[in-house]
Amino acid sequence: MSNGAGEIALSVRDLKKHFGGIKAVDGCSFELPKGRISGLIGPNGSGKTTTFNLLTGVLAADSGSVIYNGENISGLRPYQIFNRGISRTFQITRIYREMTVFENMLSASSMRVSEREARTRAEELMEFVTLTKLRGEYGGNLSYGQQKLLEFARALMTDPDLILLDEPAAGVNRTLLQNLLEHIHYLQEDLGKTILIVEHDMNVIMNHCEKIFVMDYGVKIAEGLPEEIQNNEHVIEAYFGH
Amino acid sequence: MLGAFLAVAYALPFAVGIYTESVFFDLQWLADFTTVLLNGFMQGGVYAMFGAGLTLIFGVMRIINVAHGETVMLGAYMTWSAFFGLGVDPLLALFLTLPLAFVWGWFVQKVLLNAVVGGPELTPLLMTFGLGLVMIHVVEAIFTTDFRTIPYLPDALRLSENISVGRNRLISFVMATVISCGVYIFLKKHRIGKAIRATAQNADVAMVCGINIFHIYMITSGLAAALAVAGGALVSIQFGFNPETGIFYTLQAFAIIVLGGRGNFIGAMIGGVMLAVMESMISFMVPNGTAMVELAAYGLMIFVLLIRPRGLLGEKTD
Repeated sequence: MSNGAGEIALSVRDLKKHFGGIKAVDGCSFELPKGRISGLIGPNGSGKTTTFNLLTGVLAADSGSVIYNGENISGLRPYQIFNRGISRTFQITRIYREMTVFENMLSASSMRVSEREARTRAEELMEFVTLTKLRGEYGGNLSYGQQKLLEFARALMTDPDLILLDEPAAGVNRTLLQNLLEHIHYLQEDLGKTILIVEHDMNVIMNHCEKIFVMDYGVKIAEGLPEEIQNNEHVIEAYFGH
Repeated sequence: MLGAFLAVAYALPFAVGIYTESVFFDLQWLADFTTVLLNGFMQGGVYAMFGAGLTLIFGVMRIINVAHGETVMLGAYMTWSAFFGLGVDPLLALFLTLPLAFVWGWFVQKVLLNAVVGGPELTPLLMTFGLGLVMIHVVEAIFTTDFRTIPYLPDALRLSENISVGRNRLISFVMATVISCGVYIFLKKHRIGKAIRATAQNADVAMVCGINIFHIYMITSGLAAALAVAGGALVSIQFGFNPETGIFYTLQAFAIIVLGGRGNFIGAMIGGVMLAVMESMISFMVPNGTAMVELAAYGLMIFVLLIRPRGLLGEKTD
């Protein structure tokens, strides 16, 4: 599998989103390297989740562009972006609580593939995240960690090229987190997927991301390798103040 | 609390009947009462079906479609037109009217409601209110305000010497049950049905999972219109109707979904049957009961809203 060295998976240019007088994202630009795991970090309220929402069409940007595969996808609806190969998870899991694990999986299948293909894919992914035994269980009955796994597996249903993970470590025990990180590395290393992680857990970011973007007050204040970010004065100032 | 209230509500017609000496508890009265209950139960199947249409729209879009009863009325006129204009059996006419109804629901959603869904609740409420009035006036212009009936299997089927059910009511119940079960199975098993349920649970998540929710809204409205038109067809072979009767069915559908739980398909089934049985009991046991039927239905609705706003099977967060 090609690791897409040097190629750009997604390019964000001067993205802006204001809520009244609050500049949630204020001219953010960055480029995601293809086939790599990248991290997006920043203090609370720095605009990370808003950026995720803008990239996936959950929110419409005030201005700026998001270029994916040569197309400006800013302004497209979430399902249109999803169908172009960008998938995501949420900070707080959002599974369908009144649907079974299997139904949750099938809900994210494209209508363009046959039901049989969708079912086979769902079975494979449930096996991948070890949820097969719980296929008939309602989403609302799963533990939080299992819900995280389900949401993660659901995000893979259409074999997306770009996967956005919003705080995958939040509320997850160490064993499950290790399991999740192994899955993430498998997707990147063996399948060549591009992954962007928003995360507060610095161990996850520094040990698993090849490139890191740092946001503060809606703008990107730094980007680079983990060791560069750790020593970046702007980043230290954003997190710890003067 | 709701259980106790319902027990009192269903005991009330007995109490009034005993007080007014219209309840006798002899064999003939019990046979008549059984007949009334059976007929009410069967009528409930039809109520449940068109109530399910309203609850489907509310559950998926959080829209209160005030024109739902007018779509029931439209179904009655479509059936009447097929019967008298084309000579088609009212039940066979469903093969013609249901696809048309689906297209109508789809069209209304695409042209009107998709633009306002997710916005302030008052906008779709007023929009469907206006749509209902337009439908009434258009039907009046075409068919006048005269009451119409469709004579169809008017005789009764004797189950015993003293117990009988109307054949038209029995066939309506069977048809309504088949259609309701069909829609329920579609929602549970079909991929589009699963997408409808996913959208109902969380439209934002459905969108990031690749579901075109506006497409789903149109399918949902089409299904709801088909359920309403099927309801109209089945009531048209039992009761007279004119362009104004739609309002009555809208209010009944409201009572049904309040009782069963807004947005809950099974709740609508239960609510429909409970309401129809209550109506039958009142009309049978309470003097001048036929005139009291609506009062009872909306009294029931008001008290359920006070005691348990989510109804029998509605969600706690509703």
